[in-house]
Amino acid sequence: MKEIQLNVNGKDYSLNIDENMRLIDLLRDKLGLLGTKEGCGEGECGACTVIMDGETVTSCLVMAFQAHGSEILTIEGLESNGKIHPIQQAFIDVGAVQCGFCTPGMIMSAKALLDKNPNPTREEIREGISGNLCRCTGYNKIVDGVELAINYIEEGK
Amino acid sequence: MKFDIVGKNIIRTDAYSKVTGKALYPQDIYMDNMVYGKTLRSKLPHAYIDIDTSEAEKIEGVIKIFTYKDVPNNSHGVVFKDHEVFCEKKVRRIGDPIAFVVGETEEVCKLALDKIKVDYKELEGVFDPEIAMDENSPKVHGDSNIVYHFKIRKGDIEEGFKNSYVIAENTYKTHMVEHAFLQPEAGVSLIDEEGRVTVMVATQYPHYDREEVASALNIKEEEVRIVNTNIGGAFGGREDISLQIHLALAAYTLKRPVKVVYSREESFIAHAKRHPMIMKCKTGADKDGKLLAMEAEIIGDTGAYASWAPNVLRKAGVHITGPYYIPNVVVDSYAVYTNNPFAGAMRGFGATQVPIAHEQQMDILAEKLGMDPISIRMINIFKQGSVTATGQVLTESVPVEACIKEVVKRMDLFGEEGHNEETW
Repeated sequence: MKEIQLNVNGKDYSLNIDENMRLIDLLRDKLGLLGTKEGCGEGECGACTVIMDGETVTSCLVMAFQAHGSEILTIEGLESNGKIHPIQQAFIDVGAVQCGFCTPGMIMSAKALLDKNPNPTREEIREGISGNLCRCTGYNKIVDGVELAINYIEEGK
Repeated sequence: MKFDIVGKNIIRTDAYSKVTGKALYPQDIYMDNMVYGKTLRSKLPHAYIDIDTSEAEKIEGVIKIFTYKDVPNNSHGVVFKDHEVFCEKKVRRIGDPIAFVVGETEEVCKLALDKIKVDYKELEGVFDPEIAMDENSPKVHGDSNIVYHFKIRKGDIEEGFKNSYVIAENTYKTHMVEHAFLQPEAGVSLIDEEGRVTVMVATQYPHYDREEVASALNIKEEEVRIVNTNIGGAFGGREDISLQIHLALAAYTLKRPVKVVYSREESFIAHAKRHPMIMKCKTGADKDGKLLAMEAEIIGDTGAYASWAPNVLRKAGVHITGPYYIPNVVVDSYAVYTNNPFAGAMRGFGATQVPIAHEQQMDILAEKLGMDPISIRMINIFKQGSVTATGQVLTESVPVEACIKEVVKRMDLFGEEGHNEETW
C-alpha cells in the first residue's frame, strides 16, 4: 500500500492505494467517479481521458501513484454553480452524442484544447480530438459541437 | 396535420446524462455484497476437452466454478440452438466458453482461471469455407458444414448468356470485420425483490435474452428480467448472447449480485464478426449495356456458430443483383460452418458485402462495352414498378435514379459538356 495526495475536481484527497492501481481505477473504484470510461485499457481509444495538471492523459495508462501531488479534472468536475460547461451544452444542442461512451473523454479533450487555444480552426479541432475514438462515427457532429462551444464560451453562455 | 416531433430538432432524452458522465453502462453498476465472474475460454479452434477444476476451487476467495454440469439446458442461439452455454465435450473455435469462475474479487478469478486444467485432444480443423463444403472435410457440428442454402431461379439463364454481347465473370472476396463498439461487454445479475433473476446488460435484444436465459436455466420467462442499461455501441455485435446466461446462472445459484466486465481483448474474442464472403459472379449484357443475365454463388463463412447466418446469407443473395433489373437470374447463397470466429449480425446484415461484387461487375461490363460507368447503371436501375430477382414489385419510393443524377451533378462528372440524359 502507498499513501498519495491528489486533488480531483477541486477537492483534496489523501488515499491509500495499491501500487499496481491505475488512475482510472482510483477514479472509478475509490472515488466513484464513473464518468471516466474504459474502452480498451491500452491508451488507444481515449474514452478514459482526464486532464492532469492541464494536460490530457489516458487514465488507463497512468499509474495511480504517478498522480501523487497532481490536479485531476474529470467530466464530473466540469459543472460549475449547478450549470453544465458550454462544451457539454454544445454537444447536447448539435446532437454530438450517440452511444455516449466516448463522450466524456471527447469532452475532456475538447476542454484541454479550448483552454490552450480558445479559437481553433476545424482542422485544429480534429487534431485536438484525434486521440479519441467514436465508433458510432459521429465525428462531424462532435467537431460541430466544439465549434459551437467556442461561440458559447465567447458569449459567456 | 401538426406534428409535435416529426420535422423538429428534438434533444435526445439521454444527451444530458451522457455529456455529464452520469449515464450508467453495466460496468458502472456496483452493488453491496457483489462478487465477480470471469470466463475460461478455449485456446484451440477444434478439440475434445476434459476439464478439471479441483485445483482452482481450492483458491481462497473462489466461490464457485460453473461448467456445463451446472446448466439445466446447455444450449442457446438466435436461429439455431447450436451454441453451448459451456462446452461439454468439444470446442469449435478459439474463445469458446468452457467455465465461469465466480470469486470475491476479479484478481481471485484471474488466479483461478490459470489453475483450471483443460486437457485438449486437438482435432483437425477447417478454416476455409470452400473446403468446409466438401463432404469429406472435418465437421464442426453434425453431418454437414452447410448450414443454409438460399436459391433464386428466374427466367432462362442459358438463354440470357447466349444473347449477351459481353460477359464479366469474376470472384470477389470480403474479409471478417469486428464491430469494436466502444463499450466492452459487461453486466450485473442479481435476484430482485420479487425473486426474479435480473440481468442488467447492454443488449440489442432484451426479449431474446430473456427467452434464452429462461430456457438455459429451465425456469419461466416471468422469472427472468433483462434490464437494458445505456448501450455503448452495438452495430449488430450485441445481437447474440455473450455473458447474459453465465451471469444469470451465477446469481440464480449463489443468490448474490455478480458482475462481469470483459476486457477489449475478450470482447474481440467473445462476440460475432461480419461474415467474410466469397462471391462468384457472372453477369451478361447486350450491346447497349442492358443486363440480360446474372449467375452468382455466395459462400459466407459463419465460423463455428450459425448466429444470424441464414438471415445474412439470404439478404446477401437477395441483394447480389444490385439495384438493377435483370431478367434471368440464378443465385446460390450458402452459409458454412468452419472453426473460425463465428459471424453474425453487423451493420447491413449481408447487404454490405455484395456491392463489392455487383458494382465492380458493372464497371467491368461498362469498360468492355466502351461505356461510361454512369450510363450502364442508369439504363438498368430500379425504378418505381421494377421487379426484383425475387419477384418483388417495387411499389414505393425508389429514389436511386435521382440519387445517381445528383451525384453526377455534384461531382461534375461530365464537365462542361454535360451528358445527354435521353440515353438514360
